[in-house]
Amino acid sequence: MTNTTEIDPAATPAGKPPPRRRRRRGSGWEGLIYVLPAAALVIVFFMIPLGMTIWMSLHKWPLMGKPRWIGLDNYSRMLGDRDFWGALGFTAQYTLAATVGLLGVALILALMVERPSRGVALYRTAYFLPVVTGFASASLLWAWLSNVDSGLFSPLAQMLGLTAQPVNILATFGPAFWSVTIMVVWKMAGFYMVILMSGLQSIPTDYIEAARIDGAKAHQRFRYITLPLVRRPFALALILCVSGSMLAFDQFYIILSGGPQNRTVTAVYYIFNESFVSFRLGYGSALSVVLLAILMVLSAIQLRLLRDRRES
Amino acid sequence: MTRIDHVAGERKTSGVSLQGVNKWFGAVQVLGDIDLDIQSGEFVVFVGPSGCGKSTLLRLIAGLEEVTEGEIRIGGRDVTDADPSDRGIAMVFQTYALYPHMSVAQNMGFGLKVAGRSKQEVTGKVAAAADVLRLTDYLDRRPGQLSGGQRQRVAIGRAIVRDPDVFLFDEPLSNLDAELRVEMRIEISRLHQSLGNTMIYVTHDQTEAMTLADKIVVLRSGRIEQVGSPAELYDDPDNLFVAGFIGSPKMNFLPAEVRGGAIRVAGHPVPDPGLRSRPAEGTKLLLGIRPEHLRLAKPGEPALTVTAQFAEFLGGTTYLYGAVAEGVDCVMEVDRSVDTRQGAVLNVTAMADDIRCFGENGLRLR
Repeated sequence: MTNTTEIDPAATPAGKPPPRRRRRRGSGWEGLIYVLPAAALVIVFFMIPLGMTIWMSLHKWPLMGKPRWIGLDNYSRMLGDRDFWGALGFTAQYTLAATVGLLGVALILALMVERPSRGVALYRTAYFLPVVTGFASASLLWAWLSNVDSGLFSPLAQMLGLTAQPVNILATFGPAFWSVTIMVVWKMAGFYMVILMSGLQSIPTDYIEAARIDGAKAHQRFRYITLPLVRRPFALALILCVSGSMLAFDQFYIILSGGPQNRTVTAVYYIFNESFVSFRLGYGSALSVVLLAILMVLSAIQLRLLRDRRES
Repeated sequence: MTRIDHVAGERKTSGVSLQGVNKWFGAVQVLGDIDLDIQSGEFVVFVGPSGCGKSTLLRLIAGLEEVTEGEIRIGGRDVTDADPSDRGIAMVFQTYALYPHMSVAQNMGFGLKVAGRSKQEVTGKVAAAADVLRLTDYLDRRPGQLSGGQRQRVAIGRAIVRDPDVFLFDEPLSNLDAELRVEMRIEISRLHQSLGNTMIYVTHDQTEAMTLADKIVVLRSGRIEQVGSPAELYDDPDNLFVAGFIGSPKMNFLPAEVRGGAIRVAGHPVPDPGLRSRPAEGTKLLLGIRPEHLRLAKPGEPALTVTAQFAEFLGGTTYLYGAVAEGVDCVMEVDRSVDTRQGAVLNVTAMADDIRCFGENGLRLR
C-alpha cells in the first residue's frame, strides 16, 4: 500500500505543482462532457437522419427489396418533375399569404397587448390559446366548421340570408385556400404575437418619449423608432414563419386532402405521397434534401436582408 | 455671427408658470398644489430626495404626464393639454434616450426630419450644433460607439437642434463618473450663458443644484419646501429639511432648551440669536449651525465642549467630527493647527448671526 502514496518524481519535478498545461487540457475534456448530452441529441436525431436521407437519395430505395445505387438520377429526374415544381410553387404561394397574414395580425395583436393595462392578461391568453391546440386537432375542427351540410360557415351564411344555397367553400380553389390560410393565422398568430411582444416590451419608453418631444407623430414613431428596434425579434418570427409555412402539410392533408383538383398539394405533401404512398423512398429523400437546401437559402437571405449593416 | 448665434437662430425665450398643479397616480397624490414662476432665461433646478416628485414635475412641464389639476403656461401660453412637441421644449433624459439604430447626426436631426424640414436645413443645423458641442468628428457614429460624456453631448445637441424656448434636463449627469460630471456641469452652465434659454434641471445632488442654479426649488413628498437663490437657501432656510438638504457637509442640528433666560445646548449657553419673539422658558428648540461657522472659543467666552472623534483632512481644510453631548454629533471646519486627535476636548462657539433656530415642528423661528 505504501507505494500508492509515493510521489512519482517524474510527474512532479522538484516537488513543484503539476504544470498548468495539463489542467487546461483536463478542463477541455470537462467542457466536452457538458455539451455531450446536447451533442448526442443533435447527432442521433438530426445529423444521422440527415446523413441517411442524403444516402437514400442516391439510391433507388423501395419499401421492400434491395436498394440500388443510382447516383444523382433521383435529382435529375426531379428537374423534369413538373408536379414537384407545381407543389413547390403552391407552397411558395401559401407561404407568402400565410407569412403576410400571420406577421401582420401578430404585430397588430402585439401592439394591442404590449403595455400592461386592465384585462390585458386575459386578451394575451385568449390570443395565445389556439397555439396550444395541435395542428391536426385544429384542422379537424376547421374541416368540420367548413363542412357544407353539417358545419357552421355554410349553414350560418344561409341562415343569415347571405347565400341562397349551401356553399361548399372547400370545393373551389380560392375559398379553400383562403379558408385554410385563415385557420393557420387564427391558430399561429398568438405564437408570433408573443415573440413580437417581447421585442416591443424591450424598447425603453424613453425612446418613445424622446420621439414624442421631437415632434414625431404616432405613425412616425412606429415607422422610425418601433419598427427598426423590433428588427431582431421580427427576423426570428419571419424565419420561423417562412420555414414553418414551407413545411406545411397537416392542414392541407386533413382539411383538403390535396384537393380541389390536387391543386393544394404542398411540397411536404408531395414528398409524403412519393415516399409513403408510392413508396419511392429514394426519390422522396432527394426531394427532402432539396427542400432543406431551399429552406437554408431562404433563411440566409432573410437574415442578410434583416441584418443591420452598421451593427458590428 | 458666432457659433452660438448660428445655433440659436432667432429665439425668444419664455418663462414657465405653474398654478395649483396637482398630480395623482390612481389614489396616490405625487404632487400637491405646486405654484411656481420661472422667469424667462432663468436656470432653475428642482432638487430633492428620490421620490419627492421632482422628475414627475418636469415630465408634467414636458407634457409626458397629464396634469390632474391646475395649469401650466410656457411663454404666457396655456400648454396644460398641449402635445409635448407643441410646447416649445426640448428634454435631455437621464438615460440620454439616444436612438440606438441612428447615427449621431440622425439622432440630432430627427426632430427636424419628422417636421418635414429640408435635408439641407437639417444638415446645416446639425453641423452647427455639433460644432458647438465638439461632436463634428462623431456624426457618423452610433450612440453605442460613444463614451458616456459624448452621448451626453449628443443628447444636449439633439435638444439644441430643436431650437426650443425651454430646455428640460432630467438628472442628466447621474450616469457619468465624478470627473466627467464636473466637466459637463461646467459645459451646461456655459451653454446656458451663451444660449440664454430658460433651463429647468432636475437633480438629487445638492452640489449640482448649488453650482448651476439661478433659482433652486426644493421639493419633498410632492410639495415645494422652499424656492430661492442658492445663497438664500443656504443662508436663510425656511425649515429643517431645506437646512439639512442644502450644504455639504450638512448643517449641525443641536437640541437646545430655553432655561434661565438663555438658549442652552447640553447645559451650555449659546450666543443669543436675537429672535423677534422670545421663546418661553422651557421651550425645546433645534439650533442649526453650519460646520464652517463653528469656531474655537476665546478664553472666557461662553462655549460648548466638543469631544473630537475623528477628522477628515481635505488639504485646504479639515473637517472635525465630534460629539457635543451623548448622542449629539457635530461637524466643524477647523484649520490644520487644531488638535484633532481622538478624545481631544475643544471649546467651541459661533457668531450669533450664524445660528438658526428651528421649532419642534421643523419650521424656522426668526
